[in-house]
Order: sequence, then structure tokens, then C-alpha cells
Amino acid sequence: MDQRGVAMSDDFSLFERHLDALYRSALRLTRKPEDAEDLVQETYLRAYRYRNRFKPGTNEKAWLFTIMTNVFRNRLRQRPAPEDPIDQPGADFSIYEQMRREGMPVHLMSPEEIIVDRGFGGEVKRALEELPVPMRMVVVLVDVEDFSYKEVASILGIKIGTVMSRLHRGRQALQKKLWEYSGRPKAPSLAVGAR
Amino acid sequence: MGIFRAAEGAVAGRGGTLMGDHCEQTMRRLSTYIDRELSESEVKKVKAHLDDCPPCEQVFDFQAEMKRLVRKECCTDDAPSRLRAWVRQLATEKPKPAR
Repeated sequence: MDQRGVAMSDDFSLFERHLDALYRSALRLTRKPEDAEDLVQETYLRAYRYRNRFKPGTNEKAWLFTIMTNVFRNRLRQRPAPEDPIDQPGADFSIYEQMRREGMPVHLMSPEEIIVDRGFGGEVKRALEELPVPMRMVVVLVDVEDFSYKEVASILGIKIGTVMSRLHRGRQALQKKLWEYSGRPKAPSLAVGAR
Repeated sequence: MGIFRAAEGAVAGRGGTLMGDHCEQTMRRLSTYIDRELSESEVKKVKAHLDDCPPCEQVFDFQAEMKRLVRKECCTDDAPSRLRAWVRQLATEKPKPAR
């Protein structure tokens, strides 16, 4: 048994417990169940192949997500998806601010009431999946998977400042899309969505 | 550009309402506060201000709820059972393609 790595049979379950998290994130990245399944399979095959490089006691979820985001980015390079909009800073947008501007009683309403209860199923997922990949990855890792900024920086190989700026822009773009899905007037133009 | 407009442009989040310095500082730190990325001393400052300032507290409540909503809505997809079975197989034998 290799003490440095994950012992087979006993400890691979350590990796298995993150399957649902990997799968739902893969779905947001690939947007298709069959591609998500394929991405997760490739992730586990690599985790299996390189299991001796995993240091027990370190964050196995972050390790698996590092593998998965690398595989995903390599695939994007090989088979470019329809081009994502260029991510550039744009005007600030938040649903809260927008509602205040329109004189709506925002303090009496929860985001759920504004977005989900009035719309159709799956708006949040749809809005997330429409974000440019760099922002989408950061929002998924921080807001859905609850990784810290430092962990996300390490997973994606980017600076913490870049994590924060992508998160900021990603959340604004997400709120703008949700605002539009909820049947409200078109939000002020952000760079996201523009070519 | 008037002073109110300038404040609105500088810090998103309070819907252009008049803000003091503490409000501005709190709005700037709001995301990192919600993400639990602030130092203990900064957390104390933000908390103290939110307790004292209902308009800022409303923005906090809304944005924190927004984050919870994203997580809740996106955590509904579980991995298909055949994929789970395939991952389990990895631990015991050489896997075959799942599909």
C-alpha cells in the first residue's frame, strides 16, 4: 500500500462522495447531461490514474475539481464551443438596485419571490449556463460548491484578485439575466452579452 | 455629475440612496463578507454597521439570500445511478466505459 497516495478500495470512497458535486458542476459547464457524464468519467479516470499524487489529509474535493476544470478547459481548446462573449467590465447591475430605481418595495420581497416564483423552472441554472466560461467557473465554485477564493485561485490557476473580479462580474451578469427572465424591462446594457 | 450620482456610480448596491462613509465601506465589503472571506476585525466592523443601518442591512439580506438561492437552485441535479455504479467499480476493478 502506498502511504503517500490513496489506498485502493478503502479510500477511493473519499473521491466517490463528491460525485454529485462534480456532476452538477459538469452540467453547468457543459450544459448537456451526456457531456457532463463524460467529463465526470474522465475526471475520475484521471483521479484513479494519479491517485498516488493525492496527499491524504488535503482537500480531495478541490483536487477533483482541479482535475475536472483542467479537463474541461482542454476540451474547450480542442472543440471550441460557440464563442463566449468577451468578458469586460461593464456598468454595475444588481436586482436590488434596479428595483429600488423603479420604486418597487424590494425590502418586502425575497429574490426567490422576484425570480423563481414568478417565472418558470430552472431560470437560475439557465442564467448561470449562459455566463461566459471564465465567470461561470468562478460563480459555480464559490456560490454553488462553497470553495474559498484561495481554493478557487488554486483550482483554476489564477490570482485571487482575478477570482474576485470574475465573481463580481459573474454575479452581476447573472442577476441581469434573471431580471430579464422575470419579465421585467431590459436591464441597462452590460458588456456581458455584447460582442 | 452631482454628488449623489457620483456616490451611486462608485458603489453599487444601495440603489442610489444617500450613503455615509460607513455605508460605502460596508457596501464595498459586502460580497467578501457574505462569502466569509473577511478578517475577524473587518467582520466586526461590517456587522456593527449592519446592526445600525437598516438600508445597508436590507441590501445584505437580499444579496445573501441571492447567494443561497443560486446554491439551492443548482444543487438539484444528482449524478445518474449508472455513473455512480461506474465510479464504485473503479475502486475494485478496471472500469469499462459507462455508456
